[in-house]
Amino acid sequence: MPLLTTEAITKRYPGVTALDTLDLSLEPGIIGLVGANGAGKSTLIKILLGLLQPTSGQATLLGYDVLRQGTDLRQFVGYLPEHDCLPTDVSATEFVTHMARISGLPHTAARERTAETLRHVGLFEERYREIGGYSTGMKQRVKFAQALVHDPRIVLLDEPTNGLDPAGREEMLDLVQRTGHDFGIAIIMASHLLSEIERICKHLVVIDAGRLIRSAPIASFTERMQALVVEVEGDSTALAKRLAESGLTVREEGDLVVVGLEDDRPYDIIRDSVVDLGLGLIRLEQRRQSLEDIFQSHEPEASDAKAG
Amino acid sequence: MPKPAESAEGSIYDLGYRKYEGVRLGRRHAVFSLYIHSLRGIFGFGRHKSSKIIPIGLTIIALLPAIIQLGVISIASEVIEPSGLFQPADYFEYVQWLLALFVAAVGPELLGRDQRNRTLSLYFSHALLRSDYVLAKLAALATALITISLVPQILVFAGNALSGDDALEYLRHNWGDVAPIIVSGVLISLLMSSVTLAIASQTPRWQLASGGVIAYFGITFALGSILVSSLPNGPAGYSLLLSGFHVARGITSWLFGLTPVLSDEGEGGLAQADIPLFLYTVAACVTIAIALAITYRRYRRLIV
Repeated sequence: MPLLTTEAITKRYPGVTALDTLDLSLEPGIIGLVGANGAGKSTLIKILLGLLQPTSGQATLLGYDVLRQGTDLRQFVGYLPEHDCLPTDVSATEFVTHMARISGLPHTAARERTAETLRHVGLFEERYREIGGYSTGMKQRVKFAQALVHDPRIVLLDEPTNGLDPAGREEMLDLVQRTGHDFGIAIIMASHLLSEIERICKHLVVIDAGRLIRSAPIASFTERMQALVVEVEGDSTALAKRLAESGLTVREEGDLVVVGLEDDRPYDIIRDSVVDLGLGLIRLEQRRQSLEDIFQSHEPEASDAKAG
Repeated sequence: MPKPAESAEGSIYDLGYRKYEGVRLGRRHAVFSLYIHSLRGIFGFGRHKSSKIIPIGLTIIALLPAIIQLGVISIASEVIEPSGLFQPADYFEYVQWLLALFVAAVGPELLGRDQRNRTLSLYFSHALLRSDYVLAKLAALATALITISLVPQILVFAGNALSGDDALEYLRHNWGDVAPIIVSGVLISLLMSSVTLAIASQTPRWQLASGGVIAYFGITFALGSILVSSLPNGPAGYSLLLSGFHVARGITSWLFGLTPVLSDEGEGGLAQADIPLFLYTVAACVTIAIALAITYRRYRRLIV
């Protein structure tokens, strides 16, 4: 049974199309949802949660019809929103227990699982203090704990590392990965940072302006990740231009020219081009590109918005 | 049992996440949990200490008249006629402003915190429907009001019964008051709660919402009083149906079978208006329905 299917799901606002006839079929696992801000990631997540009604289209999650069986479905779903969602004047224990009961757990089970889950996310003595006094990192852990406390079958994470410092980011990603990997909970994680997705996700869904760009296992993206770095003495821009005319994927990094390496063809083309242009070849080196490099060379729009 | 960490990096957190195999109680349980949580929150339980001051303070003030009467009865029941201090039918007149202050103080926080903190997106992404949310909040606020308005009356009733020479005799004579006390208490509490929710749901800012609630009760009361005293016996009398306090008075007068008299301070307005008393109860039910519709409409449209 697929984890998630959508059929032509569409969400229109006056003047804007947030999701445009999106068709998806995903198997359980850790799934990354990548796109620029405003690409439609949050809209998709909110439709799956019943927070937004789609303009048209169908969706199933865990085999439940999102539009018609929402109340049954949502017992098994956890959600970590992008924005703040925590009350300030209660303790983490009080709040997470409350959310566990809202999720359908009886009182005693709610208390036990709150203690376990807060430990799991790394909150210890602080859990009896008021949330208002927490750091961003601690708040993010409470948000994760409330998404996990009822042992959902899927967790939807919207930018879980938002506002965290580098160390906090690492810890959050570890936590997400362990939750998905060790406990078999399906995860859909939206992020505008490819490096995060690349680190922990098995499957990647790329959307832009509400349209599906690509949905594939992360391995099929990394096949395109081999690259050749060329350093020459002389006019590197002219070389880049010549290589691009020869049909290679080319990107300039300062004085370096980075060429996508999908087969052996680039080696000969580079050698011939360097000779034709009368340049001195200093270095020719294989390198593994990151996902971000690929999108910088293939999807200029996506990389623009990534900075924003 | 916490399982031992298997890797070095795992040792930080991995102390015992377990699968949950127990029952999941679904939507009804979610509504009930939100109701209990909201009711606790109204009185400040589980929240910051300062959140308790106003609701608990007002509750104590609401209980004071009953406690004083009980004290008077127990000390001086031979001198003062039992049940002489206040009649059940008049009770809401004494406490109406207190109850209005109470809903104005706690109602906006009851709804506003969830809007301000954006907790609504968590609620609505669980089994709760938006209508469930409104009903749970209404039930919580009404329960709080019923507690602080009915408990004192029941205390007084019980005190009067026990202080007399013959408790059974007292009960026989006054048994007819029990149903009106309870029905009027519940209906007036629902009326004040639903109006408060309709106003408070419109804004996450408690200052505006509290001001709105006080203004609603104050302005409709003042307008109604002025209209019926300047234009008695005319169609102006129907303006009282919009006034929360007048409606409350009308409900109790009707349920207790009283005829409003001009000389009576509280019933004066009702006597001047001179419209059928049952209309006040009808007006209360209509107001509750409209207020809930407004509240629900707000939450149905709210983007969370």
